[in-house]
Amino acid sequence: MSVADRRLRLGGLVAVAAVVVIGLGAVASTQFDIALERLITVGFVNRSLEMATPIALAAIGGLYAEKSGVFNIGLEGFMIVGAIAAAGLLYGLGGTSPTQAHVWLAIAGSMAITACLTVAFAALLIRYKADQIVAGLAVWFIGLGFAPFVAAMIWDSRSSPGLASVDDVAVPGLRELPVVGSIVFDQSPLVLLTVVVVAVAWVVLYRTRYGYWIQAAGENPEALDTAGIDVDRVRYATVIFSGAMAGLGGAVLLAHAGNFVGTGDTMTDGRGWIAIVAYLFGNYNPVGAAAAALLFGALDMLNVQFQTVGIEVSSRLVNLLPYVAVLVVLSAWGKTRMPSSVGEPYESED
Amino acid sequence: MSDARSGLRPAIDRLADRALEATMVERIAIALVSTLLALCIGLVIVAAAGYDPVRFANQLLVGSFGGERAISRTLRYSTLFVLTGVAVAVAFRAGVFNIGVQGQFVVGGFATVVSIVGLAPYLPAGTAAGWLLIVVGTLAGVVAGGLYAALPGALKAYRGANEIITTIMLNFIATGFVGWLVAGRFSDPEVTAMRTRRLPDNVELPSVIFSDPNLSIVGLVATLAVVAAVALLMSRTSFGYDMVTSGHQGAAATYSGVDAKRMIVSTMTVSGMVAGLAGAVFAIMIQGYYTDPTGVGNYGFDAIAVSLLAANNPLGVVPAGLLFGGLESGGSNIQINSDVPVQLIDGVVGLVVLFVAAPELFRMAAARTGLGGDRR
Amino acid sequence: MGERDTAAVRLEGITKRFGDVVANDDVDFRLEAGSIHALLGENGSGKTTLMSVLYGLYDEDDGEIYVDGERRTFDSPRAAMDAGVGMIHQHFQLVEPMTVLQNVILGHEPTEGGLVDDESARRKIREICGRYGFELPLDTPIEDLDLGAQQRVEIVKSLYRGAEILILDEPTAVLTPQEVDALIDVMRDLRADGRSLIFITHKLDEALDVADRITVLRDGEAIGTVPAAGTTEGELARMMVGRDVLFDRLDRETSPGETVLGVEDLSVRGDRGREQVAGVDLTVRESEILGIAGVQGNGQRELAEAIVGLRSVESGTIGLDGEEITGESRRQRIERGIAYIPENRQTEGLVQDYDLVRNALLGNQTVEPYASRGVIDWRAVEGHAESVVEEFDVQPAATDAEAASLSGGNQQKFIVGREIGHDPELMVASHPTRGVDIGSIEFIHNRLIELRDAGLAVLVVSSKLEEIRKLADRIAVMYEGEFIGVVDPDEVTDEDLGLLMAGRTLEGADDRPHESELEDEGGVVE
Repeated sequence: MSVADRRLRLGGLVAVAAVVVIGLGAVASTQFDIALERLITVGFVNRSLEMATPIALAAIGGLYAEKSGVFNIGLEGFMIVGAIAAAGLLYGLGGTSPTQAHVWLAIAGSMAITACLTVAFAALLIRYKADQIVAGLAVWFIGLGFAPFVAAMIWDSRSSPGLASVDDVAVPGLRELPVVGSIVFDQSPLVLLTVVVVAVAWVVLYRTRYGYWIQAAGENPEALDTAGIDVDRVRYATVIFSGAMAGLGGAVLLAHAGNFVGTGDTMTDGRGWIAIVAYLFGNYNPVGAAAAALLFGALDMLNVQFQTVGIEVSSRLVNLLPYVAVLVVLSAWGKTRMPSSVGEPYESED
Repeated sequence: MSDARSGLRPAIDRLADRALEATMVERIAIALVSTLLALCIGLVIVAAAGYDPVRFANQLLVGSFGGERAISRTLRYSTLFVLTGVAVAVAFRAGVFNIGVQGQFVVGGFATVVSIVGLAPYLPAGTAAGWLLIVVGTLAGVVAGGLYAALPGALKAYRGANEIITTIMLNFIATGFVGWLVAGRFSDPEVTAMRTRRLPDNVELPSVIFSDPNLSIVGLVATLAVVAAVALLMSRTSFGYDMVTSGHQGAAATYSGVDAKRMIVSTMTVSGMVAGLAGAVFAIMIQGYYTDPTGVGNYGFDAIAVSLLAANNPLGVVPAGLLFGGLESGGSNIQINSDVPVQLIDGVVGLVVLFVAAPELFRMAAARTGLGGDRR
Repeated sequence: MGERDTAAVRLEGITKRFGDVVANDDVDFRLEAGSIHALLGENGSGKTTLMSVLYGLYDEDDGEIYVDGERRTFDSPRAAMDAGVGMIHQHFQLVEPMTVLQNVILGHEPTEGGLVDDESARRKIREICGRYGFELPLDTPIEDLDLGAQQRVEIVKSLYRGAEILILDEPTAVLTPQEVDALIDVMRDLRADGRSLIFITHKLDEALDVADRITVLRDGEAIGTVPAAGTTEGELARMMVGRDVLFDRLDRETSPGETVLGVEDLSVRGDRGREQVAGVDLTVRESEILGIAGVQGNGQRELAEAIVGLRSVESGTIGLDGEEITGESRRQRIERGIAYIPENRQTEGLVQDYDLVRNALLGNQTVEPYASRGVIDWRAVEGHAESVVEEFDVQPAATDAEAASLSGGNQQKFIVGREIGHDPELMVASHPTRGVDIGSIEFIHNRLIELRDAGLAVLVVSSKLEEIRKLADRIAVMYEGEFIGVVDPDEVTDEDLGLLMAGRTLEGADDRPHESELEDEGGVVE
């Protein structure tokens, strides 16, 4: 695929995202006779950004791992772990009324915990050559089981009581600006952080030697090995990074929501899986993955939007939109070019 | 290095048969060790959380095999684990990752209930009509499960969509959509609980030696029959050979005349049909109506662990399914008689899967401790 | 070693084992500085293993390595590279979607402020390219380059890393004769520049042509080292094989009969969507072997796969016994009696972790008596496996051995036996003896000729000229998806075949491919 093709694809992605969201809104507005402006509001954009953030973070972690040749299918599990760890820490630090400092500490701590767990996971995949798909599924199952278990231990219930959510960062004066004001200058710091992470992830992948090594490790590990770089070390680094990012994603999810939900498929509810689709859709490009995450985030938030403007659609159905969108995206764009050595353990000597 | 191997000939010759047996023994050993290790970790967690691990283990055991009620409950769960496990095994053996058995199980069970409830008013109330309804309902479940699995199969074959992700999405969609139908169009207006109408009284399977109304000899026999049929399909038929060969080495299967794309769709369909059958058994034998699918249990997910424990061998699924039935049964006992949150069992299942995924871990550990270290 | 050592590399008593197999047995080797040294031997003789030990890819089990007179142990390619040793592998170590520039600097990236400094890398690469007259598009992804250019990238990569000693592993295998000439010029330039080269090959003439000294390996042992100036192909061949080798053509006693396979104006696309077969016509008749020669990658694989039903056709028709089968599936064609010895026995021809019984069924799943109405008769399959093992002398003679445990030659014999057992009408054999030991080569050749003599139509694809010359009744040379010439093996010279393979037609400016005298109305027409 040439550079021009990639550009085209990225452009196409953004276009598709815009068309889908606006199209759905338009259908809804003509169908229910509601003005489009009322449906796509600044608040909607803000909520979509918030919702996209955890997906984007996990997607960036996942794409790094996969670029280097390891399919981390456990993103969903690590997100769950990140969410429960953050909730537990937050409760431990400040009970049911933690401060903002506690929130940040909890996020950092949760990232550290998931990173540590991913070290074990990475060792299973790389050193012990575990089946990447099965082991990744196992992480999900473990998260699905142990997170509500921990919640039940702490709070006697699968879910936590209300804890605290992160405060928006408001820039006095600038926040009064129309539209941009509340999107940029009165925004969750975690959203802003994610924007930075996306940019840095892009630069590291395409402009630094580590990025070259990651790409080579996934495409032709032997070439990297013969160039004198330890393939396994690169893969350890990316897998641990992917776990930490998924954990951060889970923590961010919690910090935005303010309490842990452990019923059903937990509060993560498939977002880790959607993160995988986001980076596939974004063709392994961090910026593309973030754009795709935004699309899914927006779909997720349509539900709220429909309710606020009074459109009578079952929320059960609207909640399914992101999943349906994933199916459509995968069917239309399914044949992404995967790094050629994904899933194969690398052995430098017989 | 294949050419340089010629000097090895006699050695390999001798080792050939032994290696085959060794892999069988080794697989069983890995399954056992994985399960034991996961259970031990579970007990350590129980202890760390301040509960009595001995009491916990005892309750688990009593709840699964202690007494007629426990055994019949274990068997009831096992039926479902075995069936869903076979559904997973079919797909995994063919190299297709059907993670959507849960969704196919839900759709199949719901289709069974809807078809029986819809058809019942047009039929008399007798036993014969009951049997007809059971057959029709089961067929409906099988067909619905098969179709619901064929969709991601086709998406993978013809659109290149990763089946792991599509099937997981379809699980969410099945749960949400069936939930919407159960809450809306198909809800029973006479009850406040969210569920469909009950199946008519004549739709009931005869129970076994056990008095448990939710365990029928018909269900058990049907389950074992499905296991035998699938095992024969895989080992004795051209279709099975095509399927298993596709799972082992896709390029060789294509070379031998297998249409890889069609094979993916057929595999998924067969797998989904078995999952749909499990759904039908759940609906007819156990529940008698359909509820919000978020509450029907995670058989389709645990089935992945069951199948992996059995090394994706349909015959091995029977003991693995019994084990999981026991765990589930013991878990429900713990839920009633203990403070330990029952979610622990789900976590332990995850650990089992994790360990089964990494046989190399045990090989290396065995080599280090000098047990069976001769295998690499 | 009293006086100053003039060797760039000295290996003493190198032994390397893989499990119980000894790949290198007490090998001594000495590369003089500023010379080209050929390492000659058959496939599997241990050449690549020896060089991988030198390059730090494998740890030697025994022996010593000296570079520029200094004792060294290389535990990684990086260590070897730092000592000035570079290796260009047979399978290029290039990252396909990354650009030429990125590939050259991989692992040795100059950085500035944390970011890769493209410009200084670019300057340095330009300088290297300038010195050897390479023209490389630095910002083009590797996957868009042809193999010759990719090889030049590999050479530049080694030079960029400061290699003074270059190991080239079978560098000519993927090149056209003309590209080979260009490569040999480059090798001489490198020598003139003071670098020392080790040239791994199994081709006698190339070794004689380019090397100063030649070391022959056989079965992991160094048989001897001779100066190229004082030896002959015959002597080298004896050293390689341990006996005289004759590549004589066999006599033909039969004359071709009815047309079995008829292909008209066939076009086929390759994996990347490029047209790999561009309007080919061919026929193969009863009692005839048509040989398709050509440098690898000129559409032979796609042509064979289209004929056997593994690849769909862009346009044109394929007929068997006068019936069109263009739209039929692979399975239908198997049932019609098209047997196929695939190019890649490891991934296609055998299921590696099946035993030979289950492998005997591969392709026969729907063929009586092995299966009827979808039910397999395992007893019949077992009988088939046993007869193949016995008749084709497959070792070990145990049908319960896993395919993966067989050597390459035995795997190939098993496949040939199984495919012949189909009782076919048409046999398509792609590189039937690639990577196979000499004894098995003879055996497989004889079997294919027996098939021909028994009245079958046989299509052999091979890039080995001697094989094609030995087997074929007619030779079609493929170049860039077309038959550039059809010639009589008894009359054509090696030089002419080489020219055809390089895309030249035989009669100067004539843009139509040369048609040989053997051609008749049933033959191949461009």
